[in-house]
Amino acid sequence: MHRVLGDRRAIAILIGPALLVYSLIMLIPMVWSLGYSFTKGNTIDGFTGNGVANFTRLFDDPAVGDALWFTLKYAVVVTIGQVLAGYLLALLYVFFLKRASALVRTLAFFPVVLPTVAVGLLFQKLFQVAPQTGPVNSLLNAVGLESIDWFGTAGHAFWVLVIMDVWRSMGFYAVLLFAGLVDIPEEVLESARLDGASGLRLVRHIVMPLSFPVLMSSLIFSINGTLKVFDSIVALTNGGPGSGTTPLTLYMFQTSFTYSDYGYGSTIALLLTVVCLLVTLVVFRISRRDLTKG
Amino acid sequence: MAVDMPLTSTAARGNHASGDSRPRRRRSGRIWVKLVLGLLLVVEIYPLLWMFLTSLKSNSDYLNNSTWSLPTTWEWGNYSEAWSTGHIGLYVRNSLLAVLPSLALILLLGTAAGFALQIMVWKGRSLTLLIFLAGIMVPSQMILLPLFTVYFQAGLSGTLWPLILTYTGTGLPLTVFMMATYYKTVPRELFEAATIDGAGILRAFWTISIPMVRNAILTVGLVQFFFIWNDLLIALTFTNNQDLRTIQVGLLNFTGDFGATQYGPLFAAICINVFGTLVIYLFLNQKVMKGLTGGAVKG
Amino acid sequence: MNVDSSRAARARITGLTASAAAVVVFVSACGGTGGGSASPKNFSYLTNVENTTVKTALGTLSKGACAAENKTLPLKVDTVPQTSLDQKLQLLAGQNALPVQFAAGNAPALTDQLYKSGKIADLEKKLKDLGVYDQIEPSAVSTIKALYGGKLEVLPYEYNIEGIFYNKKIFSDNGLSVPATWDELVSAAAKLESKGIQPFSASGQQGWPITRLVSGYLYRSLGPDALKDVADGKAKLTDPAYVKAAQEVADLGKKGYFGKGVGSIDYDTSTNTFLSGKAAMFYMGSWVLTNIADPKQNKVGAESIGFMPFPAVSGGKGSIDQYPSNVGLAMTLGDRTFDSKVGNWVKCIGTNYGSVALKDQGSISGFKANTPVKDPNELTSQVRKTIGDSKQNVLWFEALFGTKATTVSQTNAASLLSGSMSAEDFMQTVQDALSSQ
Repeated sequence: MHRVLGDRRAIAILIGPALLVYSLIMLIPMVWSLGYSFTKGNTIDGFTGNGVANFTRLFDDPAVGDALWFTLKYAVVVTIGQVLAGYLLALLYVFFLKRASALVRTLAFFPVVLPTVAVGLLFQKLFQVAPQTGPVNSLLNAVGLESIDWFGTAGHAFWVLVIMDVWRSMGFYAVLLFAGLVDIPEEVLESARLDGASGLRLVRHIVMPLSFPVLMSSLIFSINGTLKVFDSIVALTNGGPGSGTTPLTLYMFQTSFTYSDYGYGSTIALLLTVVCLLVTLVVFRISRRDLTKG
Repeated sequence: MAVDMPLTSTAARGNHASGDSRPRRRRSGRIWVKLVLGLLLVVEIYPLLWMFLTSLKSNSDYLNNSTWSLPTTWEWGNYSEAWSTGHIGLYVRNSLLAVLPSLALILLLGTAAGFALQIMVWKGRSLTLLIFLAGIMVPSQMILLPLFTVYFQAGLSGTLWPLILTYTGTGLPLTVFMMATYYKTVPRELFEAATIDGAGILRAFWTISIPMVRNAILTVGLVQFFFIWNDLLIALTFTNNQDLRTIQVGLLNFTGDFGATQYGPLFAAICINVFGTLVIYLFLNQKVMKGLTGGAVKG
Repeated sequence: MNVDSSRAARARITGLTASAAAVVVFVSACGGTGGGSASPKNFSYLTNVENTTVKTALGTLSKGACAAENKTLPLKVDTVPQTSLDQKLQLLAGQNALPVQFAAGNAPALTDQLYKSGKIADLEKKLKDLGVYDQIEPSAVSTIKALYGGKLEVLPYEYNIEGIFYNKKIFSDNGLSVPATWDELVSAAAKLESKGIQPFSASGQQGWPITRLVSGYLYRSLGPDALKDVADGKAKLTDPAYVKAAQEVADLGKKGYFGKGVGSIDYDTSTNTFLSGKAAMFYMGSWVLTNIADPKQNKVGAESIGFMPFPAVSGGKGSIDQYPSNVGLAMTLGDRTFDSKVGNWVKCIGTNYGSVALKDQGSISGFKANTPVKDPNELTSQVRKTIGDSKQNVLWFEALFGTKATTVSQTNAASLLSGSMSAEDFMQTVQDALSSQ
């Protein structure tokens, strides 16, 4: 039956090049780098084996715990923020703006193309407290609140990071989700309306379930990006104040290259890989279960 | 991740959805929408305006006056400064030379692999898909040292090849995974009917399947383009020759000793970069938006 | 059937070739890191993007005094941003591919590591062989040796001393004289604050301008060896006498003497705040003289800015004529590539660099300036004289720290000032980072 589709030469031609490039650029270096987890040292002094010492150190290192917690917190909050903001925008496009949405879609999409360096500087200025009072603090003052030193504590800096990354990518997710909403057949919505569903109930019972698959893939996109966040943190806070906004990626990079401890750096990277894997598996599980239910 | 709807042409559907067949909102709803819309416009446009105004300020203007003030003197010279210090012409060329080939490779190899994984029938394909999937999880910081070693020993450092290869390699997992998902919507029987041998299936891949997932390719291409175009880490690690810098690395040229920064020229360079992208973007806008809305990820 | 099996075979072969190629790349990458000496084709020089002084001066030399050397071994400059310099050095060192001359890392610790693994030339011996050792100012030699374990591991392309720059006009308007002790400094700050003038300008984003105050208090109170003792393990930062220094600085922050949001003040902003007359004092290195001499940046005029040494601590063991000094970002030469052509270049640099850098860019280096140069303003003359007269140098806070402790110290400095971290916690955190290396 599947003789033609089982043609081995064709399969090799189709998948061979991708597999080859992928193996050379990612798989082999990945395994190679993991090998360093069992060593101590760096490229200058050379590497010496030290068994599982890096792994026991991983569990004792409070900085790893902090970075892991920050990574998870950041990933969850930003992912929800990005997808939720994107979804609301998409609803706005589809149900309110309709034909006029093209311009707004383009505008909201635009921050995606801005260089991270520029976005970082922009948000530093927006939230600055000195030497000038930035726009955000001016707004606070206008409603009678005190200025906040946004980058003075990790708690505040975290929220600036969240706002920045949600702002940057909500337009992107809006367009992705827009596609899912546009595809909902008009007849379905019409009959639901005739049944008296409207507003939130329409969204909750008709729109949400129908756009569920595209919502799920947006979530997976988003969480994989946010778990590996690096550029935007380097640009905005560089992990500070102290190490209050340092995710695993940044800690790994510092450990490997600034602190010249490549072996331990690889171990941290391994931890991050495992975390990403687990999270993705969980998301997959949830998505599959919901789909079979629905 | 199942797909619940077949992929078809999109333009018509877009029009359909935005048609006026739905009942009009109540008046209060309209006001609410306008409010949200106004806020949205401010949030999206103000930063762009700010960037542009900052690009025309002198350093002391930037540092001394309030964030939203107009430039006291309009320093158009920042742009020529940016052009020469930032070597923008050269760096844009480098960025294009690195990004376009990798993008082409990612899309070609990724689509073919996606086809092989979803349409073709063979043992071990789910394992292969899983192997690709693992690549999505790997932080790219991890592969830098081994890759640097390889490129160096292979004599590739000093060229743009390390960038092209690395971008292709790191872009593939997500692309393969997404393309495989898109191909789920294409019925297998189509190819069985159209082909009788191995050469035929390759032709069918090219002539029948590619047009069917054209929008998907456009979507993935767009996503990958912005990932690669905005990359700093890989470009920083593998370019040790100034003549090979990409535009993002070039933006770092504006910081001076002990952390001093020439803000005016920096933002001028950013504006050239951003508004350049904007032109390309508006040019492709029709297609891109159609691609995104049409092809988009259906799970 | 036949056709099918041959196809299968071909498919297998394709797969094999692929994995074989992978193995080849892998193996060739692991092996073949050849050592030994290599004659360089260029006078290649890797430096940070940020520093333009040295590469400009070397460029001038390559067209002027060192044109002959440049002909046999052309100068070739490559730059990386400061933030990725350490990474780049690690990667290049791993391939034995360090350039002829390079900026050797953000912290002296990395330079020392490179030296110990034989990647850096023994410059004292090389310079003596070339007969240009006497072209380096003795004070610069002693600074380098204090920082790099008694070895001349780097060249003094810059030579800076640090102290407190102050606004003479603000001081005289408020009836203040130059504070000679820490207590006088604190009461001067209190007076300025009460009149609504911000006493200090400092960049908390950089961090080091704040930790420099801690080390200042340390070497004035405990003597010039205060930080060496920590490095040698004879003392800990958590000892009460050390915590006191952090506490004194934290108190300044608590009283608001550094203005608002000090953690997000970047280097430019802090310089600008001082040079536009909005703050009275500014701890900085002598490199800032370039900004002071530039009327576009300096709105208060070079004549109304003064320079004072870090004040004494009453009853302390340090002396006010000991200045912290440094040679800027460490510039050094690789051992493997140091051949006779490179030697000629170094000889020419030793003889000519000092005057070229000073004349063209007003930059003070540790090389002797063999042709007299007129100073742009009185302050520069004063600082240059201070450099010439300074007999003993002291170490800044992170001078002998490893890279990790340096990062930890500088990123937490702002929290010390803002009060979100106590003096004990700050010193404990830095000490932990120190001990972990």
